[in-house]
Order: sequence, then structure tokens, then C-alpha cells
Amino acid sequence: MVQFQEHIITELLEDTNGGLVVTSSGLGLHKLISSLFLLHHHSQGCLLILSATPSQKASILRNYENVTQSQISDEVQNSPAEITSDLPANQRLSLYSSGGILFITSRILIVDLLTRRLPTTAVAGLIVLNAHLLSDTSTEAFIVRILRSTNRDLYVRAFSDRPHSMVSGFAKAERTLKCLFLRKLHLWPRFQVYVSQDLERNPPEVVDIRVPMSTYMLGIQKAVIEVMDACLKEMRKTNKVDVEDLTVENGLFKSFDEIVRRQLDPIWHTLGKRTKQLVSDLKTLRKLLDYLVRYDAVNYLKFLDSLRASESFRSVWIFAESSYKIFEYAKKRVYHFGRSDSGKLGQIKTASTKKRKLNDNKKDEDQSTNTESRVVLEEVLEEPPKWKVLLDVLVEIQEERDKRALSGEEKDHLDEGDDNGIVLVACKDEHSCMQLEDCITNGPQKVMREEWEKYLLSKVQLQALPKRNAKKAKELKGFGVLDGVVATAGKKAEVSSISKQEHDALLAAASEISKRINKDTNAEAGDQKHVDDGGFGKGKGKGKKKKSSAGEKTNNDVASTDKAMEGGFSDEVFHRKHDQGLDAESSRETKKLPPVVFYALESDQKILDILKPSTIIAYHPDIAFVREVEIYKAENPLRNVKVYFLFYEDSTEVQKFEASVRRENGAFESLIRQKSLMMIPVDQDGRCLGLDSSNEPQSVISQNLITRKAGGRREAEKEIQVIVDMREFMSSLPNVLHQKGMRIIPVTLEVGDYILSPLICVERKSIQDLFGSFASGRLYHQVEMMSRYYRIPVLLIEFSQDKSFSFQSASEIGDDVTPNSIISKLSLLVLHFPRLRIIWSRSLHATAEIFASLKANQDEPDEVKAIRVGVPSEEGVIENDVRAENYNTSAVELLRRLPGVTDSNYRVLMDGCKSLAELAMLPMERLAELMGGQKAAKMLRDFLDAKYPTLL
Amino acid sequence: STPSTSANRNAILVSHRQKGNPLLKHIRNVRWAFADIVCDYLLGQNTCALYLSLRYHLLHPDYLYFRIRELQKNFRLRIVLCHVDVEDVVKPLLEVTRTSLLHDCTLLCGWSLEECGRYLETVKVYENKPADLIQGQLDADYLSRLNHALTTVRHVNKTDVVTLGSTFGSLSHVMDASMEDLSRCPGIGERKVKRLYDTFHEPFKREV
Repeated sequence: MVQFQEHIITELLEDTNGGLVVTSSGLGLHKLISSLFLLHHHSQGCLLILSATPSQKASILRNYENVTQSQISDEVQNSPAEITSDLPANQRLSLYSSGGILFITSRILIVDLLTRRLPTTAVAGLIVLNAHLLSDTSTEAFIVRILRSTNRDLYVRAFSDRPHSMVSGFAKAERTLKCLFLRKLHLWPRFQVYVSQDLERNPPEVVDIRVPMSTYMLGIQKAVIEVMDACLKEMRKTNKVDVEDLTVENGLFKSFDEIVRRQLDPIWHTLGKRTKQLVSDLKTLRKLLDYLVRYDAVNYLKFLDSLRASESFRSVWIFAESSYKIFEYAKKRVYHFGRSDSGKLGQIKTASTKKRKLNDNKKDEDQSTNTESRVVLEEVLEEPPKWKVLLDVLVEIQEERDKRALSGEEKDHLDEGDDNGIVLVACKDEHSCMQLEDCITNGPQKVMREEWEKYLLSKVQLQALPKRNAKKAKELKGFGVLDGVVATAGKKAEVSSISKQEHDALLAAASEISKRINKDTNAEAGDQKHVDDGGFGKGKGKGKKKKSSAGEKTNNDVASTDKAMEGGFSDEVFHRKHDQGLDAESSRETKKLPPVVFYALESDQKILDILKPSTIIAYHPDIAFVREVEIYKAENPLRNVKVYFLFYEDSTEVQKFEASVRRENGAFESLIRQKSLMMIPVDQDGRCLGLDSSNEPQSVISQNLITRKAGGRREAEKEIQVIVDMREFMSSLPNVLHQKGMRIIPVTLEVGDYILSPLICVERKSIQDLFGSFASGRLYHQVEMMSRYYRIPVLLIEFSQDKSFSFQSASEIGDDVTPNSIISKLSLLVLHFPRLRIIWSRSLHATAEIFASLKANQDEPDEVKAIRVGVPSEEGVIENDVRAENYNTSAVELLRRLPGVTDSNYRVLMDGCKSLAELAMLPMERLAELMGGQKAAKMLRDFLDAKYPTLL
Repeated sequence: STPSTSANRNAILVSHRQKGNPLLKHIRNVRWAFADIVCDYLLGQNTCALYLSLRYHLLHPDYLYFRIRELQKNFRLRIVLCHVDVEDVVKPLLEVTRTSLLHDCTLLCGWSLEECGRYLETVKVYENKPADLIQGQLDADYLSRLNHALTTVRHVNKTDVVTLGSTFGSLSHVMDASMEDLSRCPGIGERKVKRLYDTFHEPFKREV
């Protein structure tokens, strides 16, 4: 641990109630938490860790293991366990009482607390991660409230490393503290004295490399920003959003959507289609900028193709002035067409591009010239400039090392044999990792070539499609529209014929490649040289190799049970293999490269401590990763660490990186201001403990309610009960009902979500759910079931507090009765279920009020009966398990949406095969057997195997 | 039996009470006629509706109750059509909800006169319509079915469906794809890959 981290811990421990810690991103929260584990003793009761993401969990655990291994202690360390939904109740119970350290989801914890399976006194403390996600209606707040009400000694330690999310919204930090019943806010920005002292005592050696972007990349970037700017201007015109936030710089961040949505959501229904489209367009544009520096030219073009296919008609931006440049340049980075008869045009273009001259390349061209007499497809296949720089840097590193090795032993005693010489390359995502790896082993040109072939292949199937479909697809994709924009006016007819020729030429090239690959596969892999051409065959083989090596590694490595980890390690292993191969061959690349490991920032593994690299190349610079490197260096002051940053010069990448530093500092400054002004009642905790456990205290709102409702009325209502389905604990309503003083009984319900009385059964739908479950027919089914078993079936339509209270604006209603309108669907539902009652609720709190008022003269619901209602009798036994937890719900849902699958046969299908992947492989006969009919089986099989109509 | 009643069967009958209600302007897709009826709008043999503006309710909180009581038990479906025309809705809407729920009325809310009018029209037009529309029947074409199926996986959007489809060629190949292949698709990040992979490969029923 670095010194400042110890400071954080000691400061946190000062208050026995706990506190909220907000740090800069990348300051090693996982280390803090695992060192808190060391302070835990099982005699205190159990320590629960809430809302940790899987990757956080993994890195905390790994760090904890490292620490405990290095400490030779006699006492048995209780290693952290994980409570998942798979664990039966009695095992959970024994874990709780063991007093260990437990990772748990808030949904399980709240249910166990409410059913009193977990006595509050058994809990010593709570660690809440990602505290920026909390609000006073979140389940975590609910948990803390229940625990606090009876357990005086409980401590709550909350953490967040997202300062900018802690300042979004009004007095967010203060409200977060209140909902956790905490008083202390600890702020640890990177510019804090201790932190900066520790990190800057021994800073790593930094080399900042600015890579110039290619002309086309610059062109695309400029065009995207122009379009973005145009969209923002458009948006300003609407006068609906605070103009200050509408800058291109803000637009680079994900949080921009949040800013805009927060302002627009309450009035969403009054917005025109165009404004709504603008919001989503800005999101798309941000992606385009991001992918420009991340993807290679071919993949970028492919993404653009997909975009064009999926949203050409709705988007505003596609029709903006500069956007044709985006498409045009993106295409030019990959290929362009020259006319063989009018050589001029072709030559001018080729002059600026590097045209590769491979043998097969030529053959391709010849072929396409043959099939299409006038148009020639010329490949450009521009490589991302960073690739070359990366290779150069690697070569340089190796040369330096060789030099040092020659110059003597100096190096050895400095590193104390600790230096394994690993070069770590940090990229944004797994995809770039794989590609770069490929790039180093096979050379950039070949990688581009493979991507290109894959791209063409994905188009070749178009030919196999019936002509009518192809035509239709083309029209839909707006192919003509875009190329029409490119055209100068007047030449339209000619241009469309050109685009058709382009299209044909592409197809021809594609089919050429596919033919060749077919030949190759027929000729068997015996001939090694041909593998080079067959991009596909090679890809598959690689995949297998990788898997097996990952397997081996897992056996050796204790910590790598985590699936994602496997990925990380396999990269390493795999890569080393290749390096050896490369050294042995040394045919293509004459220069020797150091061992390289690739790391995807997205995978969020704390890999620095494991690999202990001596050189780090930040291929996609990221602020959190920079901090991690700093800490790594501070922890190992003796080790030489050299860091290379690869930035595209004058790119949004640089801009984004710098802005993220500014943004974080700004957030902390605002937090510091907030902290000085915060109003946390000193007796907050005392007050809450003073009250009786069954009478719900806490939030200011309910406090006021108690005083407002005269005298003993509250007492009389005390035993109000509501039966709530387990799955509903994903939502905040149970929490709010509890705040209102109702007793929540969590059970698994087959019918309905909330049972208010023996007569009243409520199905809750948020707006989004409502639309979705109308479309899937689920709502119909649910209402049918409710009507069958309850006198008063109720559909609760719950609007969100901060969104508009209505379905649509008057202008969106249209002139006719249309079947797709929500009005039509609701009317139909009402007509078919005249007994159905509908509650329209403004917000969670309004719902709670309505529930309370509806229950006023009703009997309390019967828990045992409610559980039995509607449990399918065909399954024989009554199930006591939590259904949602026993099913892979998204798979089941997907299955039920497949053609041929019906309510009556999906259960059998699920029994007949394990997963969707297995289902995809089942032959017709077996399907017919399971689905009870040839027709349904054929429908399903056909759908599964149907060729996806390709783009272009 | 008379021609006028058979014509009236296809029209919404409007109580004289509603004379002057601007809502009537927005009933355009169905014919309507004034008649002597207890309810405000007669939408079918067994279907009736009462119209209530929340602003009016605030002035006359008992009005709704008396109107409902007048209806007696003559209708199978009794709709309270509530025009939400006030800013602060929580309290009045609570009262209206409670009254209609406990007195066997179905509450429908509209935020504009257009919307209220459309509800009346739709209920009349759909009087004898089967429920197919809300039973989950879909567009039959391949792309929308594929979209419908794959977008069950959280955060997978239409662009992703296009990417997946064009990369793997068919749904069965998508389902069989390895994590590595999935992550090669542009636009599909780590988490989406995991979600997709889990959906396809985790068993339908988890082992307990």
C-alpha cells in the first residue's frame, strides 16, 4: 500500500459509524477494500459487501489473496464468500452466522432481512461500492435503514471513484450521506497533498508520442465535429436545454447524454420528433468519433454500413451537409473505384494513396475487370497510423535493451532479477488487443487484408438472395440516397449507374475471395502457404489454440477462476507462443521484439501487480489507467518504469483526455464546496436509533407525515401489510412502501406483483415495460391470470418522477385510430378485461399513497394463499424457489420470441435442450419431437438458419 | 328496429350534458349524436364512459361519485375518462383513482382533449375487435422478428442486430459464436459480449 492509502483508511476508521469516501478514479479502491477485510474478525459478525461489479469483486479478491499470502499468520483467515441466488436459504443462513466476509446482491439481502432470515445483529458492517449510484429510494438505502433501526454498532463504509457522478443533480453528496445515515465525507482527489506527494516522489519516466492522423482521418474527424456542431446548434434552437452545457467538448463524454436527458426528460412528451432524434444522433456521432481512433479503416466502414442500414431514415445527421464526407472518406480509406477506360480519374486518386501490389491483389483486379468492364476496384486499405508507431516503439525498446545488455551487468543488479522485461500495451477493448497482437505477429498489411476479405465476404451472400429481396434491401438501406448526396447535381443518372457498378465490382471481388477460400478448404490445410489467403480458416484455428492454452493456464493459476481473467492470461500465453514462432522464423520481421502483453482497459482487471511490466504503452490513454500506473510506480519505487503515451495529434482523443482531467478536478472542487456547506443533522443517527424498530423512522418525508397525521392514527395503521413478489425488489417501490410504514412480505408470486388484500392484486408496469409487454403479449397473459384469480385485478402504470407524466404529446396522436398506438392497445385491453382497474401513478411516492388509501377498508392479504395462486398444476409440485433466480430469464424470453415457439411448447423445449446455443444445433426431427409438430419445428429451424440479408 | 337506431348502433351517443364540451370537436373518426342517456358517452351496448376534467374535480370533489352511482349496474365496462389538465396531479388523481376503483370503474387518463377524444373513438371502433393486437403477434418479416428476438438481451440495439446478422450470417451462427468472435464485432463492447454469450450458453434452467 502507498502511504496515502493508509491515510485514507485511518481517517475512515476514526468514525465508528463509517463514512463515504470519494477518490479520483484509478486510485486503487480495491486495495483499500481488501485491506479493510484484514481488519475484520468473525467474532464481530459478518461483513457484507454490496453492489460490487464482477470485475471489482475479482480484483478485490485477488488483492486480498495476495495480501494474506504474504502475511504469514497462524490464525485462519476467513476468505470472502459470495452469496448468489443459487445458494439455498439454509446455506445462506449458515454463511451469515459464520461471521465471514460476504459479497451479496442487495436484492437477496433485502429479502433475507425482511423475512428475518438474517438477524440485524449478525451484521458487523456494510461496505457499499459505487456509492454514486445510490439514491434515497434505492434498495441499498432500504437495507441500511432496516439495519440501522435495530443495530446500534453497525458501520457503513461507502466508496466511489466517480467524483463527477457525485456532483450530478442537486446536493447529490449530501443526499447520499443522508440515505446511508453517515456524517463523514472523505474526499481524496489526485491533487490532495498526500496523494500528489506520494505519487510524484518517484514518477515514472514518460514518453509522449503524438502520432499524426492520416488526411482522411482528419477529414472524417472534422466532418463529424462539424455535424455534431450543427446538431448542437439545432438543439440550441429548441430552447429546451441549458445552452452552457451544449459544447462539443461536453459532447465527447457519455455524461453528455445524461445532462441532456435530465433536462429534457420532464418535458419529453412536448418535444418534437426532430429534437428527440437529435439527442440520439449526438450519441451516434460521439461513437463515430471514438471509433475513428479505435477501429481500423475496414471495421470503421463496416460500422458505418451498419449504421446506415439501421437508421438512415430516421436520422437527422445523415442528411447534414458534412456527413457525406464521413462516408466518403471512410470509403476512401478502404477502397475506391477507378474507371478503366477513363484512367485520369483513377490516377489522380491513386496518387495520394499507397496502393499495394500483392500477387493475389492483382488477380483480384483482373477478375473484377473481366466481370465488370468499366469499373475497377482498387484497394487502399489505409492502416491506422498508430500501428506503425507501436511497432517502432517496440523495436526501439528492444534495441535499447540489447544495448544495455551489451554494456554490462549494471542493469541486472538494478532490477534485482525482478524485471521480466514485459511490455504491457493497454488498449481500450479486447478487439483492439487481438488486432494489435495479430498486427505484431503478421504485420499490419496482412491484418488489414484479412479484415478486408472478411468485409467483402459478409457482402457476398447478397448474391445468394433472391433478387426481389436484394432490391428491397437496397432501397431500405438508403444506398441511393447517400450516393445521391455525393453527386453533383445533374449527373444523377450517371452516378446511380456508377454506384451500381461499384456495387457489382465489390460483389465480384467478394465472390472471388469466397471462391478462393472454398478452394483452399477443399484443398485442405496441407499447403501452408495458402493459409495466408484463407483468413477465415486461420481465424478458427487460432480460436481453438487460444482456448486450450487458457485451460492449461487455469490449472496452474489459482486466482484465475474468473472467466474474464482467463481471457487476460490466455492472451499472454498465446502471445508468447507467437513470439517464439516469430523469432524462429524471423523471415518476415527481421527485428526482434520484446515480449508483449495486451490488456483491455474495458476488462477492468488490475493487471499491473500481476505482470509487473517494466514498460507500459498506453495505446488508448485513459485517466484511470494513468493513476494506476502512478500507484504501481509508487509501490515499487526501485523498479524502472517507462511509460509511452500514444496520442493522435490534434485529435479528439487528446481533447477528451485533457477534458477528463479538468472535469474530475472541477467535480472535486464542487464537492469540497458542498462539503463545507453541508447540513447533516448531528443527531441523525441518534434519532433513528431512538425509535421503535417496527415504526419506520428515517427520511424527513415520513417524519413529517407522522406529525401531520394527528396523534394515534399512525398507530392504528401499523400492521398494514403488502405481499410483494421477489422480482419486484429490483424496483424501488418496496422501499418506498416500507418508508410509508407498511410491512413488506417478500414471496414468490406467480400472479401479480403486489397483493394488497385478498381481493386486490396489482401488476406494476413502468412505461417502458408497458410498451414492451404489450408488444410481447405478456401483459395480456398477466392480466388474464390476475382476472382469473382475483376480484379486483389492477394494472399500475407507473410514470417516473423525473420524466413527463403522459404517453405522448397532443401533436403525436395523429389523425386516425392506428393499431400501434398505445391508446389503441390500452382500449383493447380494457374492452377485453372490463374488470381490470387501472392506476395511473405520477411517481413512486404517489403509488405508495394510493396503495395505502386502497387498503384502508380491506382485509390484510394472506401470504400462503398468494403464493399458491396460479402455480401451474401441470408441474405437479408447488414451487417454493424463486423462479426468476432459477431461470436464465433473457434466454427464456428470447426463446419465446422465436417463430414457432408458443406458450404451450416452450417449456418442453427448455427441458429438451440446455441452452440456446444447443437449440441452434438441434436437427429438425428432434425439434419436431419437442415442439409437437413438423410445422412449428420447420418454422423455427428456418428462422434459425435463414441467411441474414447483407448490406450494400 | 327503426333506421335511426341501427344508425345509432355505429355511432357514439352523447349525453346532452356534454353539450359545449370542446372534446366533441375531436371525435372525428366515428359519428356521434346527442341522446337521452344516463352516462356521458355510450360507446356500445354494454360500454359507457363518464368524462371528468381534473380541474372540475378540484371544484366539485363529490361529482364523480354521484355520477357513478347514477349508472347503477347496467354496464359491463364503465370507463371514467379523466382529462389531466392540472399541474399538481397527485392528490386529485389519487381521489379519482380511489373512487373509480372502489366503484367498479376503469380509469383512463388523457393529457389533452385530442387524446381523450381518441380514447372514445378507439373504444367504439374496437368494440368487437379480437385481442390479437395485444397478444404478441408480430410483423412476420425476418428482420423485425430477428430484431424482436435479439433485443431481448439487455442493451442490444438495432445497430447491433445488423452487425451481428451481417457478421455471422444467421441466427444459429450468432448463437453459436464464441466470445472472441462476438467481441470482434464493431460496436459491441465487453459487457454486451458477455450478456449475449451468457444468454446463448447459460442453461435455461439454472442448477440448484
